[in-house]
Order: sequence, then C-alpha cells, then structure tokens
Amino acid sequence: MQCLAGYSLSKRYIDSDQQIQVLTDATLEVNESDLICITGQSGCGKSTLLHILGLLDSYDFGRVLVRGKEISSSMADAPKIRNSEIGFVFQFHYLVEDLTAKENVALPMIIAGQSSSIAYRHAIDLLSKLGLSDRQNRYPNQLSGGEQQRVSLARALINSPAIVLADEPTGNLDPKHSAEVWDMILKLNRERGQAFVIVTHDHKSAKLASLTYNLADGKLNLIDHDTNPSGVISS
Amino acid sequence: MRLISSKWKFSKLEQFFLLRYINAPKRNLMRFSFVFMVSGIVLSVGILSAGLNLFEGYEKSLKDVLLGSFPHISLQDANSEYFSKERADQIIQKLNKYPQIASVTPSISYAVMASNGDRVRGASLNAYDFSSGSSFPYSQYITQGSHRVNNGEAVIGKYLAKELGKGIGDSINVFYPRFDRISAMGLFSSERNFRIVGIYSSGYYENDRSHIICSLSDAEALLNINPSFSRLELRLDSEYIESASVLANAIQSDLGIDIVAYPWSIFSAGLLKLVAMEKWLIFIIFSFLVLIAGINVISAVTTIILDKKNEIAVLKTLGAKPKEVKGLIALQVGLVGFFAIIAGQVFGAGLSILVEKQGFYRLKGDVYFIDTLTATISPLNQFVIFAVAAVLVAVCIAYPLKQIDKMQIMDLLRNR
Repeated sequence: MQCLAGYSLSKRYIDSDQQIQVLTDATLEVNESDLICITGQSGCGKSTLLHILGLLDSYDFGRVLVRGKEISSSMADAPKIRNSEIGFVFQFHYLVEDLTAKENVALPMIIAGQSSSIAYRHAIDLLSKLGLSDRQNRYPNQLSGGEQQRVSLARALINSPAIVLADEPTGNLDPKHSAEVWDMILKLNRERGQAFVIVTHDHKSAKLASLTYNLADGKLNLIDHDTNPSGVISS
Repeated sequence: MRLISSKWKFSKLEQFFLLRYINAPKRNLMRFSFVFMVSGIVLSVGILSAGLNLFEGYEKSLKDVLLGSFPHISLQDANSEYFSKERADQIIQKLNKYPQIASVTPSISYAVMASNGDRVRGASLNAYDFSSGSSFPYSQYITQGSHRVNNGEAVIGKYLAKELGKGIGDSINVFYPRFDRISAMGLFSSERNFRIVGIYSSGYYENDRSHIICSLSDAEALLNINPSFSRLELRLDSEYIESASVLANAIQSDLGIDIVAYPWSIFSAGLLKLVAMEKWLIFIIFSFLVLIAGINVISAVTTIILDKKNEIAVLKTLGAKPKEVKGLIALQVGLVGFFAIIAGQVFGAGLSILVEKQGFYRLKGDVYFIDTLTATISPLNQFVIFAVAAVLVAVCIAYPLKQIDKMQIMDLLRNR
C-alpha cells in the first residue's frame, strides 16, 4: 500500500536575479516497508525533494500525497500530518539541548496531545529497542554522535509514522557510528516494516536499500544495482 | 497537573515545558542571556517599589500625625472669639447623641510670643482643663516630663524648646500683645512666666516648633478673658474619621448658624491629596524605568530566539504550532521575569527599610511637615507594582516573539 508519493514535482529558487531549477518533473512513490535511498551530487536538490515530501517546503508544480490524500506544506493540517504520518531524521541530530534523551523522544507524542507519562513509557520502550535504555536520562551533549542520531531516530518513530524521511542521517558520523545507525534502520525496516526514504552520499550504504534513485538535473532516476553496481544512471 | 489560564488552556506541550522549567530551573531559567534582563527588572522594580513604599510611609505618617495632633472636628462660635462655659456645656449636652464622637475637649488656642532673654519666637498657646481629671487628648505626644500641667506650668514643643535653649525645669516668658491697650510706647503686652514640665513631640514640625500647652486659668489670665473657650475639639472613633465632614455638616445643622463646625479635612485634605498625587506621579515616572528594563527583556527574547533557531525548526517540523512554540519561549522568559519582579519587590522593600533605618539623612520638617522618613509596604501598592511590571514585561516578551510566525522551517534548517 502506498504511504507517500510525489508526482511531477518542480521547484525553482530565485537567488539574486538568478533562477535555479532544482527539481523538474520528479516523481517518487513509496509503499509500506520500502527502503528507498536517494543519491546525487551535492546541491542537486536531494534535501529539497525530501523537504517537499515531508511537507516542510513548498513546490511550484506537482502533487504530494500522504496515504492517498493530497497535501502541501501550506495547508492548515500539514503540521498534524507531519506529526502523525512522517518521521524526520536530519544530518545534525537537532535534539533539544535542554531535554533528556527520553524527553526528546517523547516530544512528538506530547505535541500530538498525549500525556507525558504515556509518552515517556513509549519513549523508554523505543530507546531500549534501539539499545539506549541506559542513556534515557542523559542530555544530548552527554551522548556520542551515533547515540544522538539513534535518539533522533527513536524520536522519528515514536508516533508510528507511515514513513521516516532521513536527510543524510550518517553524514556527520564516523564509519563506526554510521554503521550503527544503518544497522538500526535496516533492522527497523526488516522487523517492523517501517518505510524509509533516505538521502545519502554514501553509495555503498545506498546499495542496501530496496530501491535507489539518483537525482540529477532535477529528475529522479532509478539505479539498478544488479546491472549497474557502480551506480551509473538509467532513466 | 491541569493548568488553565483565563484566556486559554495550556497545550500538553506547553504544560510539559512549564513543568520542565519549574523542575529544572538551574538548567532552564538561570542562563547568562537572562542576567541583564533580570538585573534590569530587579533594579527598576526595586526602585519603583522603594519609592512607592517611602511615599506611602510619608503619606501615612503625615496623615497619622495630622489626625493625631489636631481635632477631627472643631466647633467655634460664629460671632465671637470665645464660648462662655455655659454655652459650651449646652453644646456638649447636645453632642451626647452622636455615638461617633469619642471625646469633646474645650480649649483655648491663641497666637502668642515666647522668649528667653533676647531670643523671641512666635508660638501657639493651647490651654486645656487639666484639673477636672479629664484626659488630655494629645498626651501621647508628651514624650518627656509630666502629662499633667498645673497652674504656672507648661509643656512646650521640642523644637521651640531647642530654639529657646530651654529644657524641663527651666522657665520661659510668654507674651500676649493686647490690642485693646495701646500706650505711647506702643502695644501693651500681658506677660506670664511658665515653668517647663514637659516636652511635646508629635512629629508634625509646625506644632513641635510652636506649641505651648498650659492650663485654662493661666491662659485666661494671660489673654485677660473671663472663663471661656475658643473652641470645642471633637475627636471621633477611628472608623468615623474619614467621614468627619459628613458628621460636621450634621452637627452644624443641629447646632444652628451660630456655631461653625470645621472638619479636619478642610485644613488637611488638600495636603493629603497633594501627597497622594505626588506618590502616583512618582509611580508613573518610576514605571518608565521598568519600561527601559523592558528593552533588556526584548534583547533577551531575541537572543533566545536566535539561540534556539534549530529547536524552533525541530518543534515546528515535529508538528508544533507557531503559537505553541511562542508559548514555550514566553513561558520560559515569563517565569524568569516573574521571579525577577518578585525579587525586585523584595529588593525594594529592603531598600526602603534601609532608608528608613539610616541616620544620616532626615527630612526637613519646615519643608515636608514631618521630619522622619518611614516606609510602608502596602499590599495594594505591591499588587499594583507587580501588575504594572508584569504587563510591561509581558508586552516586551510578546513583541519579539512575533518573528517566530514569520520563521520558515526551511530557512531555519538551511541557516544552521
């Protein structure tokens, strides 16, 4: 079943009288249990695409559907859909510095209107599943980079979203911590059927995905790993 | 915990952060960015509070001394300087029906001169009946010596004694220039010598500088009058003092046009209103200090918004509404502001008590009527100070928070 889709998405930025076409007719469909990676050169628009799909940014043309319902970032119920249907993981963990790991993970549930005690219970459960049960009362600055990103992943998952959008989740980590995070993503995808769309520069990790796209010239192109192990683009 | 304000209910997110701020104040409220804001609020509210406490104390002291050392209602003959004793007795009989009146004291009051050799000072002779056993209504102000005055004795004001260089046991001469006897040498004056048996100190400078209190028979002899009184001094039960003018009108109607009733407010209300007006004027002027401190609040909120750009972006990304995000920052700064205002009020109370207790500056009695600084911490004033400071701080918090509405998540995330 389709959980997220973007059809013919176009986005153009105007920067000091110069027009930059970031996306041109980009289309992506994500079904439940999909693990999709998007690769591409720096500045090609990968993050912009992810932000448009995550209802954080607007698009000039096209359509975005979440569980079959068309929506855009400017709509009144966009915050609610972001809260309940979409989980976010960023390159920088963006944890709230003054909250503990447990409180950070509980935040989306509290925003949804759930009581703190219930949110904490879910947060503790998730943290222990991600191997962070002994870190629940630590502040972000008391955690390693990998732990911070796992907390960020737990925060993205707490409301059981239809899809998690991750923007270079390991881009800021060393190989060891990067591997930890990828292992976690693969495990969640495999065991819980959690759908992911991951933007990454890491072609090696991208091969672990069920589908990999390359974004070039504003368009998404599917990469066939079997026939094209080096990541050469096919349309 | 259910936190509900009168206008809106806190969301779960706001409740969560509010409890977080309260439970971990060191981490959330004691930040360097709040130092200047807190200092500004504490200082400005402290000065505002101290100023108002001292003015309130001055107003209260002045009112207390005015009501304590003057009759609440004076009855005088409309046609003559003096009442006969019989007339006075008749009036006193008629006043018996007024339960509001605590005491009626006949007295003689007249302007005289007091001297010690070459030192001559204008004075006010006040004579009362000390022989009949009736209590002298202002005895609480006789701070030294005897409360009873016999013939040939007098109690004199503290500053009059100082100016004449006299003390208890000394004697002074009192002159009364008689306009009815003019000789080739000028006005003929009657003179009487009094032994000082007490010192009068009410705190009301003019009385302390001029009062000479003696017996009725000495005054009659000095002023060369038959046994009579210049006025009847009415003192009221405390709960009726404020309505003295209403009672004076009733007594005036009752006694007819030959008697004039003067309530205390005729002589003192204008002064007290002026002091009250000055007090609120000072309040308004000092409130501007809080407004200036508000600039620090705006600065602190702006700094926090810049500091927390990423958190704002994340909260919005996770689905928090801009109103909620604004509420979180408003609650954090608001709590700091709340404690700073309370601290400012405590500081102001301490400052005003310090000013009251200090010994190096005294009020000039001839300018300010009383010569001691007192502070009164009135709950009403403290509430008004808190309310005004809270409103100013709230406005200064709300203004910079508007920019959160304009902040786009993507702009915040891109500008990391």
